[in-house]
Amino acid sequence: MNPFNYNGGVCVAMKGKNCVAIASDHRLGAGRLTVSTDFPKVFEMGPALFIGLPGLTTDSLTVVNKLKFRVNLYELRENRKIRPHTFKAMVESMLYERRFGPYYVASVIAGLDPETDEPFVTAMDVLGAGEVNEPFAVAGTAEESLLGLCEALWEPDLAPEDLFETLSQVILNAVDFDCLGGAGATIHVIEKDKVTTRTIKTRMD
Amino acid sequence: MGDFSPYDDNGGTVAAIAGQDYVLIACDSRLSTGSTILSRFTPKIYPLSKMTVFACSGFHADVLTLIKNLEVRMKLFIHEHGEEMSTKAVMALMLPTLYGRRFFPFYVRPIVAGLDRDGKGLVASYDPVGTPEFFDYVIQGSGENLVHPFLHNQIGAKRTLSDVPVQAPPGLTLDKAVKLLKDAFLAAAERDVYTGDTVTLVAMTAKGTETMEYQLRRD
Repeated sequence: MNPFNYNGGVCVAMKGKNCVAIASDHRLGAGRLTVSTDFPKVFEMGPALFIGLPGLTTDSLTVVNKLKFRVNLYELRENRKIRPHTFKAMVESMLYERRFGPYYVASVIAGLDPETDEPFVTAMDVLGAGEVNEPFAVAGTAEESLLGLCEALWEPDLAPEDLFETLSQVILNAVDFDCLGGAGATIHVIEKDKVTTRTIKTRMD
Repeated sequence: MGDFSPYDDNGGTVAAIAGQDYVLIACDSRLSTGSTILSRFTPKIYPLSKMTVFACSGFHADVLTLIKNLEVRMKLFIHEHGEEMSTKAVMALMLPTLYGRRFFPFYVRPIVAGLDRDGKGLVASYDPVGTPEFFDYVIQGSGENLVHPFLHNQIGAKRTLSDVPVQAPPGLTLDKAVKLLKDAFLAAAERDVYTGDTVTLVAMTAKGTETMEYQLRRD
């Protein structure tokens, strides 16, 4: 079985005006069997820095632990918070270390730069190849649906509330067409000095 | 000769919306094979009669052959009955035409769209062996996965506050439908390499047919 489709799940992130948002669904599966409907795939890496890791869940959890370890070491050594683009480079090199036996996870990173408050969003594949100059990033089992919806619904300079609504519609409508994702969603809206986390309901089939 | 395949996929996206007093059909105009663009302007919409149009993505040679078959059958109908086939009759004709090739199918994703005798919009879509589906809106082809959820959201009003299709047909006006399909094709062209160049929209009402064309990405 394809390791990317075994547990299922999606992540999506979007830039707004002085804010970013990142969302994931809640399903954890084992093939066609749903094991849990309370399993978000977005993890906190700092006060304004989140990473979403859809893919093979066992690898997601390993990767998130390894990353947290590296972030902690970095922040102790540097005595400052890690910046999103530095974190991106860290994830990139960590994934590429496993070039010939990769972790089966895609990554979506969203955060605000602690120094400039610039919104930052990126997505990368299993080997750490990614794109930084996009206003939104998607990954997971409903990738195409997410991409089409982002392309059609996103607009520049969304305020935090509008960004939340747009991202909600994107993830909701995408997982409606994905039998491996869904079962609810969690959305984090990251602003300067504030993160709002909301849970939304989706179809449960 | 050993690796000859009788099929190719020439890509492209087609879509249609059936309204109360109109039908709107849209397609892109790119024809490609693998990473080669064969043509930048070959729209995938073909008029079949005054009331009915046909739109089709898939293997272009099969599309052309299928249309020839349909035209022959529609002409025979005129000679037998002394009138053009209705849109509903053309929709019914699709099944035997496609299923007749059950074991060497036409590699096509057709849509038949038109007006019934009262001027109401009708849309039918088919798989390569003729299984029909009748919805108020439909999208098929290479951009399908990108745009399908968007149409469900905007036209089907899925996941809006009430979950009731507030602006779906009959509430959806032709102007709004044109805007939605234009946006849908802009989004598809942005991310699907097999969709692009131009989008052609054909709006059919009892008053007549209007064709619109807009530029899409050309890369």
